[in-house]
Amino acid sequence: MNNVRAALILATFLGGLVAGVAIYAVTDKGTDANPYATLPRSAEPAVTADVARALSTDDARGLANQLDMEVLQQLHSAIEPLTDIRSMKFVGAVEKNGRTLAAYVAGGRTSDGTDVLVGFVLRVTGDQIVGVN
Amino acid sequence: MFGLNLIPPMVRTALAMLIVGGLMGYAGTAFTTTLVADSGILGGGGESNDAHKYMMALLKREADSLSQLRPAADVVSRALDQQNASQQAQDVKPLSVTYLGGSSSGRLSVHIYAVEIQAGSGQYQFFPLALTIVGGKVVRVE
Repeated sequence: MNNVRAALILATFLGGLVAGVAIYAVTDKGTDANPYATLPRSAEPAVTADVARALSTDDARGLANQLDMEVLQQLHSAIEPLTDIRSMKFVGAVEKNGRTLAAYVAGGRTSDGTDVLVGFVLRVTGDQIVGVN
Repeated sequence: MFGLNLIPPMVRTALAMLIVGGLMGYAGTAFTTTLVADSGILGGGGESNDAHKYMMALLKREADSLSQLRPAADVVSRALDQQNASQQAQDVKPLSVTYLGGSSSGRLSVHIYAVEIQAGSGQYQFFPLALTIVGGKVVRVE
């Protein structure tokens, strides 16, 4: 009889636990809905993937060959204060009217050894990187 | 009290277990989901609630909401923010706001958006915005 009673108590507790999780899942609104339109995602452009690879492999020569001086200076400003890039993640891209924005998050260290994340976006027009934000 | 004595002890215990289990399930899920979202344990690729709120406040020019999502600032800086918000063109119309993605590391997270706007003069702009968030406060916007 005691075993049956213990099993029943355990079962009701577990039932309550599951119900609590279910109630949270139903009532949690999460992030509010976006009232604006959204653009469809596009694939990572090959030209920005090459730049991301050069950044993550510390390939200064590759970057110099792929980007002109103005864009390189924009990239330099965009990744500040990172001095040692240790990770590079493509997070998404969108295309509109022939212009593509490809977003990346770089992780690494500043000159004083602090770990930071920096987001930057490469602007692409006609398979060419025309700017960095 | 409250007639609880009228309920058989077995049923009382079962009800108590159901309530305790329910509360633990609800609170545990809320705690875990918040912890996972904020710490980036699972990569943190989802849109942060703080980043979303900031973007909406920015596009609606809600200076008070923006200052709540920024680190504490002195009164003059907040007054400047108010003036900047009120002086911005009121006829700018956001056409689309697309969350591109983000990444988290500890309390630090980066979230990137693509925004399309149309000014009253008809000028169209398509530009990105990267938000850096530390501990729920937007510390950098680019």
